[in-house]
Amino acid sequence: MLNFLKDFEEKLDIKITCSQETEPLGTAGPLALARDKLIDGSGEPFFVLNSDVISEYPLKEMIKFHKSHGGEASIMVTKVDEPSKYGVVVMEETTGQVEKFVEKPKLFVGNKINAGIYLLNPSVLDHIELRPTSIEKEVFPKIAANKKLYAMVLPGFWMDIGQPRDYITGLRLYLDSLRKKTSSKLASGPHILGNVIVHETAKIGEGCLIGPDVAIGPGCTIESGVRLSCCTVMRGVRIKKHACISSSIIGWHSTVGQWARVENMTILGEDVHVSDEVYSNGGVVLPHKEIKTSILNPEIVM
Amino acid sequence: MGIAEERVVAVIMVGGPTKGTRFRPLSFNIPKPLFPLAGQPMVHHPISACQKIPNLARIYLIGFYEEREFALYVSSISNDLKLPVRYLKEDKPHGSAGGLYNFKDVIMEEDPSHIFLLNCDVCCSFPLPQMLDAHKKHGGMGTILVVKVSPESASEFGELVADPVTNELLHYTEKPETFVSDLINSGVYIFTPDIFTAIEGVSSQRKDRANLRRVSSFEAMQQDTRSLPANYVRLDQDILSPLAGKKQLYIYETMDFWEQIKTPGMSIKCSALYLSQFRHTSPHLLANGDGIKKACIIGDVYIHPSAKVHPSAKIGPGVSISANARIGAGARLINCIVLDDVEIKENAVVLHAIVGWKSSIGRWARVQASLEILILN
Repeated sequence: MLNFLKDFEEKLDIKITCSQETEPLGTAGPLALARDKLIDGSGEPFFVLNSDVISEYPLKEMIKFHKSHGGEASIMVTKVDEPSKYGVVVMEETTGQVEKFVEKPKLFVGNKINAGIYLLNPSVLDHIELRPTSIEKEVFPKIAANKKLYAMVLPGFWMDIGQPRDYITGLRLYLDSLRKKTSSKLASGPHILGNVIVHETAKIGEGCLIGPDVAIGPGCTIESGVRLSCCTVMRGVRIKKHACISSSIIGWHSTVGQWARVENMTILGEDVHVSDEVYSNGGVVLPHKEIKTSILNPEIVM
Repeated sequence: MGIAEERVVAVIMVGGPTKGTRFRPLSFNIPKPLFPLAGQPMVHHPISACQKIPNLARIYLIGFYEEREFALYVSSISNDLKLPVRYLKEDKPHGSAGGLYNFKDVIMEEDPSHIFLLNCDVCCSFPLPQMLDAHKKHGGMGTILVVKVSPESASEFGELVADPVTNELLHYTEKPETFVSDLINSGVYIFTPDIFTAIEGVSSQRKDRANLRRVSSFEAMQQDTRSLPANYVRLDQDILSPLAGKKQLYIYETMDFWEQIKTPGMSIKCSALYLSQFRHTSPHLLANGDGIKKACIIGDVYIHPSAKVHPSAKIGPGVSISANARIGAGARLINCIVLDDVEIKENAVVLHAIVGWKSSIGRWARVQASLEILILN
């Protein structure tokens, strides 16, 4: 993790500091733990982002919004089709002032949910004790009661990518937004269909058909005659000749054998090797395993 | 060597369209006996085994299909083998032995000394010359080819008990409910012409009993063959069972493979069995290739000369490809039967399946059966 962060520090020319919890402190506790690092005396608000979401991150607009309402905390909310899966934010439509939070409501109370992106004044830290604390259940309701919590509707796409299925959807949304903004980053050619991103160090053989919605990581080798669609191929993976992969995630340094077929939310962990001609229908395979026989129905392979 | 007067005739029972319904949907397109296994029609395998019988005079195919369905096949095979093969159509059901008796005059035309009776839907090595020798040594009326199967599956067949020294048939039961023996009737027999006398005997016995029933009401209440017409004679229940233990019938055991070709699924297995037999008997029929100039071939594979297979495809084991099929680049075929005019496009994978006439399999498609067999038409 630290090496990964070091690369980014260099690339982006910014300083990255880590604060590590020794015991889980919930969604608010870790902020209290990092209190000293967060307060720099300037009184300026700080962003809090959850890493298992993906969106367009309109952070400049959020700063503008926060300054305009003068409240203590701003949160991004996003409209979803099935709000009962999440925590719904009930807010006043014109000002964005938050009335209350309802966790997984049984009846419809609203369709905006917490997108996991916050902009907080340093004073918020005074509300957070150094113990396992939930920001949605304990901290925000208090600030909302004081009418100092405001919500901004997130423009563009948003996806909670904590679940593998949603990760694939998130990939599709991300590539879609990339197509609109900087389509030069996407791959093109007679063997590319729809939105596909391929790392410059990856190699693709002849007679392949890649896409739509495919991401191929660094150092991958895609041999000839391969079909990829709606999938992510992580660093160092080798996909052998004539294989066919759809709606799946292939973990780092894995291999998929010749004529193998991997589909329906198959997730291969790190260093997994699928033998030639094998079929995987939704197999979830833990790292360092060899798959020699077909997985006919979704199951976890340990 | 055989005696100069010895003449052998072979009779192959091929069934009919109303029989063998388990072979549907394939039997909707083609009579089951003509369905290809290892690149040859099913009936070709027993016929070609009959060729090895010394002093074989003639082969008869008996069945319920229309004559025209077999006309073409029979004339071409007679030509190829330089051996008279004739199709005889049964006009109505006479039972497995009655059918033979129905054509007694035709079969006995050339005064054969021995008559082989085979079922077309049996897949085995047909050790017919060896059966003939064993039969002559036994000196009985008939010798039955038998095979050992698993005790669990034995009740699906006719179970036999035989004397281990003399090989005499001591007991025969058709599809018993309780276990009798794991030795079963394989559906291949050799008889002397006395068989016709035995069948006649059953017929007349039945006629007499029918007459008796008209006279005695006690007889009328007897169940067994009340509903069967006099000339309907079943080989198993009416001949083999009653004659067991009377020093008339003997057995000859085969240790080779044996299967019944009742369902399309079995035809994949039987096709592969015949392909592996070709490896010993006629290796020139099998395909070979190493993936450079010709497609890579694994194990026993048959490819019709008119079929086109891309050199980057990988075929086998256990694959049979029929006329005018086209197998595209990077395709993979394992344990399957590909029928005429099929197109299998690039990078497709087919395992354990039968791909029906004129079907096509798209690029990167996968056709696979695990427990059930997949048939595409």
